[in-house]
Amino acid sequence: MRNLIFKNNVSDFSGSFNRKQKGLKALVLLVPIIFILSGCSNPYKNLTKTEYPEKNTSIIPYSLPHTDRTIIYKADMSFYKNTFGGLLIIKKTEINKYRIALTTQFGLKIFDFELYQGKLNVVSCIDQLNKKMIIKTFEEDFNLLLMQESFNQIIEMQNTDQNQKIWQLKSGKFSTYFTQNNESVSIDNMSKRKRNSEKISVGLYDYKKEIPGEIVLQHSNIKFKMNLKLIQQ
Amino acid sequence: MINKILIIASFFLAVSLNGKAQEIGFKPVNNSTEFKNKINLLTSNTQTIQSDFVQEKHLSFLSENIISKGKFIFKAPNQLRWEYSEPFVYIIVFNNKNIYIKDDGKVSTFDTQSNKMFSEINYMMIGTIQGSLFNDSERFTVKYFESDKHYLLELEPKMAEMKSMLKSIKIFIDKTDNSVSSIKMIETSDDYTSIEFVKRKLNLPVENEKFNIQK
Repeated sequence: MRNLIFKNNVSDFSGSFNRKQKGLKALVLLVPIIFILSGCSNPYKNLTKTEYPEKNTSIIPYSLPHTDRTIIYKADMSFYKNTFGGLLIIKKTEINKYRIALTTQFGLKIFDFELYQGKLNVVSCIDQLNKKMIIKTFEEDFNLLLMQESFNQIIEMQNTDQNQKIWQLKSGKFSTYFTQNNESVSIDNMSKRKRNSEKISVGLYDYKKEIPGEIVLQHSNIKFKMNLKLIQQ
Repeated sequence: MINKILIIASFFLAVSLNGKAQEIGFKPVNNSTEFKNKINLLTSNTQTIQSDFVQEKHLSFLSENIISKGKFIFKAPNQLRWEYSEPFVYIIVFNNKNIYIKDDGKVSTFDTQSNKMFSEINYMMIGTIQGSLFNDSERFTVKYFESDKHYLLELEPKMAEMKSMLKSIKIFIDKTDNSVSSIKMIETSDDYTSIEFVKRKLNLPVENEKFNIQK
């Protein structure tokens, strides 16, 4: 009997401990999941979608990739704790072909890239930036800004609550969303997402002759930020 | 790592020009020792320089050059204010041991003594403005040319880091007032930056206040 009581007590104790432990485990697991879900919720999920039969980005009201003019921005970039900048020159040289160069205020070239059909070729780049990871980041950013990313589908959406029109370029698990507020003449925001989590966000402001007067590009997973202010077009 | 970029960037402020081809109208200086002595004497007599400047950036893929404009003030031995007004306001000041950069209304301060790169920039900038950089045989191989109106110092970098970016620096000295009238920095790709100094005024009084942009 004593043994039984003892066993029962042990059993009760261990049962209570196990329940508490399981509850704690569940809580520990749930908290990050709640955070992840709230961070990854897809704001475009419940919108009505129309797929375009043609894969032509010219339906998206965004002129930076199409202009033949020389575009110059004052650029301020920060990569982790380091900052650099100068003049960013963007020139479309052929269809789907661009030269993108960053020079210091004093003229020295920091980098000179050619973007052709989504591939970034380094014409020249100072050693400090000529690293595989940094070049890949620039490739992704300029492909986004100049709408050169490859995609399989174009989907149009209306967000009536927010008065927004949205175009989605979809390529497997990646999607880029171009958002235009109804009162705007052009795209106000870009968001590159992998499944439900945002990788890069771009704010486009103060359009001048259809070219964004200010661009703020920010990565979610690396500390890289690009601030561009238009000074010539 | 990337901190260096700003430094390297600023560093080339005063430097630039065109590579291997000899400038039209220039021939080699016959007696370079006499010439060097003359330039050394002149730079040591220059107490202040004030000038406007026009900077042109040539990129091979553009049909037109990118133009920037501004003013600079130099006061011997080591104060320099370099101020862009176009295409946007940007000021860099070298004041003895410190470098101040004013961009978008914000002032950043750098100490040249604790930062070797900034110390290098300081040295390069002032050396180019004064034209005294040609004395640095450790960093540059120098060739001397002259035309009717100008002396030309052609500097080829010796150091690997600079050599990877710059093919040569050409410093043009006006024979009428013996001050630097233009510079040209030629990159390894043959793209170049040229800076022309106009309305140059030598040895006029300059207040120290000009080199204080902290407020």
